[in-house]
Amino acid sequence: MAASGKVTVVLKAVKNITVQFCPFESNVGSTRMFLSVMSSHKVRATNLNCEVISTVKHDRTEPVVEITYLDGDKLMMKGAKLNCSEMLSSFQSMCAAKELQAKLAAAKK
Amino acid sequence: MAATLCRILLPKQGWLPFTQCVRHGSKAVTRHKRPLHFLKQKLMSVTRYIPPPRPAPPGAYPRQTIRDQEDDPFTLLVKKNLKSVFQESKMVAVVQNSGSTADEMMLLKYKLHKHGITVKFFPNQVVRSFLKDSTYSNMAPLFIGHTVLFISKEPKVKEMLSSLRTSRHMLLLGACIDNTLLSAQGVVSYSKLPSVAVVQGELVSGLTLLISQTAAMLQRHPAQLSALLQQHVKQQSSEGAPKAQEAT
Repeated sequence: MAASGKVTVVLKAVKNITVQFCPFESNVGSTRMFLSVMSSHKVRATNLNCEVISTVKHDRTEPVVEITYLDGDKLMMKGAKLNCSEMLSSFQSMCAAKELQAKLAAAKK
Repeated sequence: MAATLCRILLPKQGWLPFTQCVRHGSKAVTRHKRPLHFLKQKLMSVTRYIPPPRPAPPGAYPRQTIRDQEDDPFTLLVKKNLKSVFQESKMVAVVQNSGSTADEMMLLKYKLHKHGITVKFFPNQVVRSFLKDSTYSNMAPLFIGHTVLFISKEPKVKEMLSSLRTSRHMLLLGACIDNTLLSAQGVVSYSKLPSVAVVQGELVSGLTLLISQTAAMLQRHPAQLSALLQQHVKQQSSEGAPKAQEAT
């Protein structure tokens, strides 16, 4: 299970997370793991306003994770060829960058 | 003796002698590696020991072929349980549980138990190996991550959907209703279907309507009936003629 004990995911800068996947496809494992990580208590407790919206489809489309941040930026991850740990690391790096930006903006003020 | 020989043979500096004494050199046992005679060097290189290649330690690489292992007794018990579940129940729904608390699970179980739906948990590996051998092999890709099975003898889809709508963390992936595998949208459309009795009644009424119309037509005056049939023949021939013209 990726990110089990080392780094916790912080959702401070995230507005909502939308996950779409088709469960009968074979490339959905990483997306489903990502969804279960995002929906866990620890992660949700970091930001109670963040919504995790999941849609189950049946049209052979690729699994997609779309993350909308508070400042309007969007991160779209196509989970067909991605590993769960890769998705988590890219998400965490974006979140860290956003937090830095927010800190700098707060320091300037 | 050897040292005196050397001194005599090398009178001038920078002058190589015709004969070189080989006997003087290093002793037999030296601290450095004594240069071997060329023939001995050749012999040693030819007869050098090449050890056989050592195999990798036992746990270094994964097995290339997956050997079929016999199932342990717990797995067999779970498989027996699963078999009885699939045989007895008409509806088996697979739901992904993404982080619901114990309270929420308890409430959901209580709501579903009122309608006769049981909530069961089985290990994914066992379920997949069971499904592989059974007729429900297409359900196997659903069982990834934290999955819950909703089982009921009667297909009570509406109640299940209403209780899933209220819970935020449970996500319906698919269901096997009456030996038919349905997706999430399939389950929703199944819930919107009218009941079997209603559909049967509609079919019977449609058929009886047609039959009653033919019976009423036949019971009319024969002159009217012949006029109707003549008109019908004329219409058919007129429809056949434009179709033949379109074909040519």
